[in-house]
Amino acid sequence: MHLHPIKTVEDLQFYVATAIQLEHATIPPYLTAMYSIHPGTNKDAYDVMRVVAIEEMLHLTLAANLMNAIGGTPDLTQKGFVPSYPTYLPNGETDFEVGLGKFSLETIDTFLNIERPPLPTNSKKNNATSNLGLLKTQRTKKMLIPTFKSAEGDELHFYSIGEFYKAIGEGITKLTEELGEKNVFVGDPDKQITPEYYYSGGGEIIPIHNKKSALAAIRLISEQGEGHEGGIFDYEGELSHYYRFQQIKLGKYYHKGDEPNDPSGESMPIDWDAVYPIQSNPRIEDFENVLELKKAAIDFNLFYKNFLKQLTNSFNGKPDQLISAVGGMFRIKEMSYQLMRNPINEKEKTTGAPTFEIDLV
Amino acid sequence: MVLHKYLLIMKTHHEKLSVFLDLSVVLTAFSAYQLHGTGQLEAYYTTIVDIIGDQTMSEILVAFNTAKTEASSDQKQLEQQIRIHLLSNDKLGPITRNIIKMWFIGSWYQLPNIWREAYGKSEKDQTFVVSSIAYTEGLLWPTIDSHPPGAKAPGYGTWANPPKISEV
Repeated sequence: MHLHPIKTVEDLQFYVATAIQLEHATIPPYLTAMYSIHPGTNKDAYDVMRVVAIEEMLHLTLAANLMNAIGGTPDLTQKGFVPSYPTYLPNGETDFEVGLGKFSLETIDTFLNIERPPLPTNSKKNNATSNLGLLKTQRTKKMLIPTFKSAEGDELHFYSIGEFYKAIGEGITKLTEELGEKNVFVGDPDKQITPEYYYSGGGEIIPIHNKKSALAAIRLISEQGEGHEGGIFDYEGELSHYYRFQQIKLGKYYHKGDEPNDPSGESMPIDWDAVYPIQSNPRIEDFENVLELKKAAIDFNLFYKNFLKQLTNSFNGKPDQLISAVGGMFRIKEMSYQLMRNPINEKEKTTGAPTFEIDLV
Repeated sequence: MVLHKYLLIMKTHHEKLSVFLDLSVVLTAFSAYQLHGTGQLEAYYTTIVDIIGDQTMSEILVAFNTAKTEASSDQKQLEQQIRIHLLSNDKLGPITRNIIKMWFIGSWYQLPNIWREAYGKSEKDQTFVVSSIAYTEGLLWPTIDSHPPGAKAPGYGTWANPPKISEV
């Protein structure tokens, strides 16, 4: 499947389906790093990652609301929805690997790559082949954002996640102008997740019924991740994800009024050793010799698969199911801890971790 | 000289920890996976060694190995042998009961006075919670299909749903 310039509502739905998948795909790496930290240690770093992970869950829910608003069907259960880690995301002209790994400097570098703000528009114009922020470059096969096929048949790639959301926003504007707002936002309003079902989760959930609320949701997603107009804060005055993670890398908090890359706040104590030595990008087959661990890892995948099914139900007319689905996340945390405390191999002291191989169960 | 032979076999920390895990599986009826899953194996082992010393700990592990050998893979026999070699033993019994309490509640309990007078009063033998997560990781909670008050809560509003009873 390729992305095309957005000309129809179906094109837009395909973009939004990709957005739902993309927002979800960041959550397993964030959860893996968080839960690899020994409970009670690295509290500051844990909280920073937790805030970001919860905002990704808000983004996922907003993308689902957008999908429903334009008459599509959010589906978190289809094969391939959860990527096989490591997967790849675009970062300018190259890709970077997004994998499941323990809390470490290397992992924080990956998170910085995921949330990296786009370059200012004028500095990438030379290479960009269109004003959509597309590039003609050789890319890795396991990309999270599908390639874009131009009218001339060229395979192009988005410069960053920011450019991808910009294309969705422009598509919405274009379609509402051409077809009229009522013909784009045809979804059943009862399927919207409203604040009564989504509580204290990284910001206010926006029910989407028209162009204005759709663009507000896209703005919230983009700016919580990448900041407002190249600044370190979003339009609500909150630190963007990139700079939240950078605090962990630099071991220092940002203060209001700080310039990018130069936080002036108090130091953030980090103990890189208070971490379970989990295997990176684990697979069920890695646990072949540890039967209880293998069974527990499969149980985790079954539980997660069911969790995604519950989310899909709640996004398809049963919003009240979201409350118990969110309750399931506490179980996901406990199951993760158990996996991460169980050795795979006594000699190398490596421990297990959730494999997120959802298509295998 | 049986004792001497076993001490030679279990020389590394890792080997002793592994026997301690096997013993804990029998004492608690929880699986090795579940015990590892509490993250407390090393903490409990170290706590005991700190209080009663490496030598007495080795005596417990040796007694367990003896019980296992005599039970020859018969579960019922093993329980019987553990009563004989550990729980009814004046020196090892109170420690064995403390191991059970530690796994379930997360605290070390001061040994009985009669034990302290007979085998020595370690300064560290006070009642205390073993680690910051020992209480919430106690096996008590999964045993009663609940969660520790104030921790591991199942999420807002989930009390409206029927309880999820896990297999033990």
